[in-house]
Amino acid sequence: MLDFTQNYFELFDLAEQFEIDDSQLSASFRALQAKYHPDKFINANDQERRVALQTTGFINEAHETLLSSRLRARYLLTLKGIDFDDEIDTTHDGAFLMHQMEIREALEDVKNATDPLARIDDIAQEISGEADALKDDFIEKMEEGKLTCAKDAVLKMKFFERLCEESRRITEELEDELF
Amino acid sequence: MALLQISEPGMSTAPHEHRLAAGIDLGTTNSLIATVRSGKAETLKDGQGDALLPSVVQYQKDAQVIVGKAAKAAQLDDIQNTISSAKRLLGRGIADIKTLDGKLPYEFVASDSNVPQIQTIAGNITAIEVSAEILKALKQRAENTLGDELKGVVITVPAYFDDAQRQATKDAARLADLNVFRLLNEPTAAAVAYGLDQNESLSERIIAVYDLGGGTFDISILKLNKGVFEVLATGGDSALGGDDFDHKIAEWMLEQSGLQTNDSSAFHQAMVEARRAKEALTKANQTDVSLGGWQGVLNRTDFDEMIAPLVKKTLLACRRALRDANLNKDQVHDVVMVGGSTRVPVVREKVGEFFGKPPLVDIDPDKVVAIGAALQADVLAGNKPDEEMLLLDVIPLSLGLETYGGLVEKIIARNTTIPITRAQEFTTFKDDQTAMSVHVLQGERETVEENRSLAKFSLKGIPPMVAGAARIKVTFKVDADGLLTVDAEEETTGSKAGIEVKPSYGLTDTEIETMIRDSMENAQADMQARKFREQKVEADRTLEALDSAMAADAKTMLSEDEIKTLLDARAELQQIKENTDDAEILKAAIQSLEKTAEFYVARRMDDNVKTAMAGHKVSDFSDKNKDEI
Repeated sequence: MLDFTQNYFELFDLAEQFEIDDSQLSASFRALQAKYHPDKFINANDQERRVALQTTGFINEAHETLLSSRLRARYLLTLKGIDFDDEIDTTHDGAFLMHQMEIREALEDVKNATDPLARIDDIAQEISGEADALKDDFIEKMEEGKLTCAKDAVLKMKFFERLCEESRRITEELEDELF
Repeated sequence: MALLQISEPGMSTAPHEHRLAAGIDLGTTNSLIATVRSGKAETLKDGQGDALLPSVVQYQKDAQVIVGKAAKAAQLDDIQNTISSAKRLLGRGIADIKTLDGKLPYEFVASDSNVPQIQTIAGNITAIEVSAEILKALKQRAENTLGDELKGVVITVPAYFDDAQRQATKDAARLADLNVFRLLNEPTAAAVAYGLDQNESLSERIIAVYDLGGGTFDISILKLNKGVFEVLATGGDSALGGDDFDHKIAEWMLEQSGLQTNDSSAFHQAMVEARRAKEALTKANQTDVSLGGWQGVLNRTDFDEMIAPLVKKTLLACRRALRDANLNKDQVHDVVMVGGSTRVPVVREKVGEFFGKPPLVDIDPDKVVAIGAALQADVLAGNKPDEEMLLLDVIPLSLGLETYGGLVEKIIARNTTIPITRAQEFTTFKDDQTAMSVHVLQGERETVEENRSLAKFSLKGIPPMVAGAARIKVTFKVDADGLLTVDAEEETTGSKAGIEVKPSYGLTDTEIETMIRDSMENAQADMQARKFREQKVEADRTLEALDSAMAADAKTMLSEDEIKTLLDARAELQQIKENTDDAEILKAAIQSLEKTAEFYVARRMDDNVKTAMAGHKVSDFSDKNKDEI
């Protein structure tokens, strides 16, 4: 039976840090699935099948968490004892919030651009560039042991995640219209 | 074989025994069953050598059910009792069905359970029951061919099927008394059939499976690595398929011919002709079409133009799936074509253009899904203990809950690998609030109305507390088949008031049990009806034999009284035959006539012996009598 007390990094045999080896994550994930997936327990008894379902549920949740940079960052903070609910908690960086509003307005304005698809691609580029900068910021703050600042970076990542979703939604809408 | 085998939990240590398993492609237009024999997956054929079973079921007055080719042939004459494309109705509510753009010739009635029923001569039937009949026919075919009972099956579903549609498929299997190892997404099955994971040159391959069936379209992006098939993203349209191509042609023909479009019989005829024309155009550049008295010519260019918007819609879904997988088109190594509608040349052409490489079409696109399902069924049955194949699927549509202002909060995002369990905490809004309503939704949109409502239930018995003090944990569990259960529980007091939900458009367990019981009674009724028909044939044979014997020699062999006795007995059987539907009563009446006629039979036999030299045969009547004794 799988040891559920392991943290997600231990589970996938990864060093406990923000930057991870994607191929190692992927290989460990496959190996764990091959061992615990419910398909391997089709002919087993009910209890073993329930355990298999629970185990793969845990593996999948862990995998999803480590795959996403924001969730991975938040998880690292949780391991350091900084737990927070990012649905309620938010950043109070005024300049950051102002900049967010600018990007939002730019997104809303895309429809009026001469080439809306090109414009949205540009904005998406900008968003992803700034999101990458946040990751570097997080790594730096963690190394310096400034956990509260690291937490602020994670809260900011959430804003960028929403922007990404928004830009994707607009792209899809544009495609629907143009295609 | 090793002397000492250390087994994993759940693995059988018993000596290897082949367990019969099959893969079923339950399709909109056609269904198939396949199995692995001598290491090779093959589709099983009917008596006439056909692997495709038309997904058409005809209901008759005497509760007789006809499935497949015969039902399809009867379709034009008996539209209302002959159900086709039932898959499009699975897991749908009345309102959904009304928005399906297909003009359905059936009479729908709403039922208590929200599962729409079709009015037929044999009573009200749900799409689940129709599907169960198709599954039963396939099961029968497999067991007849393989000579033993199936231990389990893998049934394929479009990757884009939502929870209600998956649940409905599983319910149909339950009605057909099938043990379902797994519901498998059709594109994943196709990828398995092509065995692209076996490619040695690359350790990791990205493949796109483009699956255009009769009524559904799926696109899936998979990552293949040493026997592990990992679905990265999936998308599509559960109401777009080859039927829509037929529609376009049918509409064009009706418009050209000036025939009434609101006449469902004319429309149906147009659809049949449209389908034929579409199939002809896969090989020819043009084809003659006729409808009613009208005749015309449809060429491929015009047809391509008619369906261009539909093909574009599928390519749009391909773009989205790639984006969801964070991949570019040029990162895709292979494109696999699945579904009969990918035979349409313009579809192959456009898909090839989009991905920048010719799509793979080596395996019959009608059979590829069933073959992949059979391969997985074989592995799941435990017939290949060394096989490392593992299929990791994702949930096709996000799952969420209704929150303030009719908005949806996503709990599990689409393309999350399953199985998965995720919980979210909620609280009360008012002081002393003792109940909370939970509305489960599936889809990508922001508002409740734009998503599919899966279930609504209320959590009662929350202890009275100040607003915001209660902690209600709602847990979503999605199993390996992609089926969802939701529990809600109040945590602060430790009092659990969990509830399991079934989709709004699904059948309840009680309904399914009633159906199983009914179908068993029906099977009994079927048997009764068959027995009666047999006895009726017997009665007719007995009456005929008596008539022909008496016509030949009654005058020479029988007295007036004897003739009267026989005719009275004959009249009695005739009367009973016309007034009963009970096989036993009829059988008794036949025996009674035979007993009355015994002396006559004996006398004729004696006579026959006397004339045997002349080579006369013993009459049918006496032959018959011997059989009875």
